[in-house]
Amino acid sequence: MATVTSTGRLRTAAGAGVYLVRRLTWRTFAYAVLTAGAAIMLLPFAWMLSTSGKTLGEAMRIPPVWIPREQVMVEVAGEELPLYRVEVAGEVRQLALLERTGAQGVFVDPADPSQRYQLPLQEAKRVTRIRFRWENFVVAWNMAPFDRYFLNSLFLAVTTSLGGVITSIFAAYAFAKMNFAGKNWLFYLFIGTMMIPGQMLLVPNYITIKQIGWYNTYQALIVPWIATVFGIFLLRQFFKTIPDELWDSAQIDGCSRFRFLWQFVVPLSRPALVTLFLFRFIGSWNSFLWVLIMTRDDAMRTVPVGLFAFSREAGTDYHLLMAAATMAMAPLVLLFLVAQRQFIQGVARTGLK
Amino acid sequence: MPKKRLDPKLRRRLGENVEAYLYLLPVLLILGMFTVFPLFRAFYISLFRWPVVGEREFIGFANYLRLMTRDRDFWEALRNTAYYVAGSVPITLLLATGVAVLLNARLRGRVIARSAFFISYITPVVAVSLVWRWIFHRFYGLLNYGLDWVTDRPPLAWWVSFSPIDWLNEPRFAIPALIIIGVWQFVGFQAIILLAGLQNIDRQYYDAAKVDGANAWHVVRHITVPLLTPQIFFLLIISMIGAFQLFIPVFILFVGGPGPGGAARTIVFYIYETAFYEFRMGLASAASYILFAIIFVLTLIQFRFSRRWVFYGG
Repeated sequence: MATVTSTGRLRTAAGAGVYLVRRLTWRTFAYAVLTAGAAIMLLPFAWMLSTSGKTLGEAMRIPPVWIPREQVMVEVAGEELPLYRVEVAGEVRQLALLERTGAQGVFVDPADPSQRYQLPLQEAKRVTRIRFRWENFVVAWNMAPFDRYFLNSLFLAVTTSLGGVITSIFAAYAFAKMNFAGKNWLFYLFIGTMMIPGQMLLVPNYITIKQIGWYNTYQALIVPWIATVFGIFLLRQFFKTIPDELWDSAQIDGCSRFRFLWQFVVPLSRPALVTLFLFRFIGSWNSFLWVLIMTRDDAMRTVPVGLFAFSREAGTDYHLLMAAATMAMAPLVLLFLVAQRQFIQGVARTGLK
Repeated sequence: MPKKRLDPKLRRRLGENVEAYLYLLPVLLILGMFTVFPLFRAFYISLFRWPVVGEREFIGFANYLRLMTRDRDFWEALRNTAYYVAGSVPITLLLATGVAVLLNARLRGRVIARSAFFISYITPVVAVSLVWRWIFHRFYGLLNYGLDWVTDRPPLAWWVSFSPIDWLNEPRFAIPALIIIGVWQFVGFQAIILLAGLQNIDRQYYDAAKVDGANAWHVVRHITVPLLTPQIFFLLIISMIGAFQLFIPVFILFVGGPGPGGAARTIVFYIYETAFYEFRMGLASAASYILFAIIFVLTLIQFRFSRRWVFYGG
């Protein structure tokens, strides 16, 4: 029997079978590769989280342990003793280790301390339970003024993102909907500045910031970052899609441009504004070199710079380093989980013109 | 009132001009002060011997001459950066294309997979680099353990024997380690952009190809890839510009230093240490300008060549 599919290809029953098998193989393959890839991408985070709950000794165990555990202790006659799983006369029992004598151990029954057994230690297995050491976070938190770092980072992220959104709204509106002398010329100039690698401006900006007395101040960390050419382009594209008739009719009703911008354009552009805010927020939270150079005091540090300073102090205490790294990431990961769609759509949009 | 003498139409135009420039004022001021002015100022500074304190001395192009002819650290930085760019840019793009194609297949759970790939892009680079420093640990790191595990059993065990790599202390592994971080960090971001491009391709093209009896390879070669070239080009440009400015992972991985024997010294690291460890602002500015020139020229070249291979719709 032969059927004609919608694409016009003649397909026999055998052909359909081959097609189905091929499709199935492709899907299985796609699943396998995608799952493996996603797992590899997440592995560093899992490793970080796992290490952050370990003791230093556990962190340095080979093969690595993924889930931190601890020895179970029992109280026997007022003494804390480690619990073991041992075989006594063909029966598996949980006994506490009282003392070691060479390869042998003296075990007692926690329920009945008078019962003692001499058994080879080799055959005894430690009884452990899962134990995530939350106290690592407390220790790391107290080793450096992280509360200050977080406050600084939050303050700077909010102010620079809000500032960036506001200045971009104005500039983007001018470029999208207004006519003024030198518009094209300015527009190309703005595009041009996007090609300048930010890092090459560090030295002159450092000198400028020092000269105007902003070194080691918040304004040095805010003001230069509230103008964003990327943001202007993003919003301009969005504003352009708003029909001109809206402004025409608002104008007839005697609405000023400024009011029109805030009462109509801004609410209509919420998705673009949210995207811009999120990207500025992340950019600010992650900024490192600028803060490192423009500040001197510990009290001015942000989370990334503070984390770096902490990492020098903590040295090779990787369990504490990972606890601190987890804390530094947490706000952004939470933000991402809440606003996944905005992030991903925002990025997707930047690639489509 | 003198205003009355103006033609109302002209007055409106004038008003619009004034208002537009008022709207642009904050951005113009800030960009002028912290982007345009420093661009010229960096060049000015680069013509001086400019210590932070003490006498400045005009020395013409001596800083550039020194960088180009006898500054070994700078040449090393150029080489390392070129190695990093040449490694990370194509690998990331290739992997991202693969991921995008897979994400484009309508599989269940692809929303989760998308986020899993993307999240490395938004996590703080400093924190992430610290995690990688731990992963690269010679004895207790996850990477060496994983490599050992994989090479210890068939089929790899038949051909390979693995001894732990000292990622962070052996010069020849410094840049590869940074490439691994870079690829991991940006593959998801690039995949999302490519995925958007894939989803933007009109289904009609595929249907037409089917009617014409094209096989899968032909479809990829003559439909998917050409229609994806705008995204590929965009990513090529921005990832190259980004890769040339690598700094934070170097700084964190090698604890504020340039890596074993300077093997991880990138151009931006060179600029940083010259300006803020050695306080030679003039020399650092000259290096900035060379970095700018390199990026500028390479971007121009790519735009030139793009006409041959980038396809912006019919």
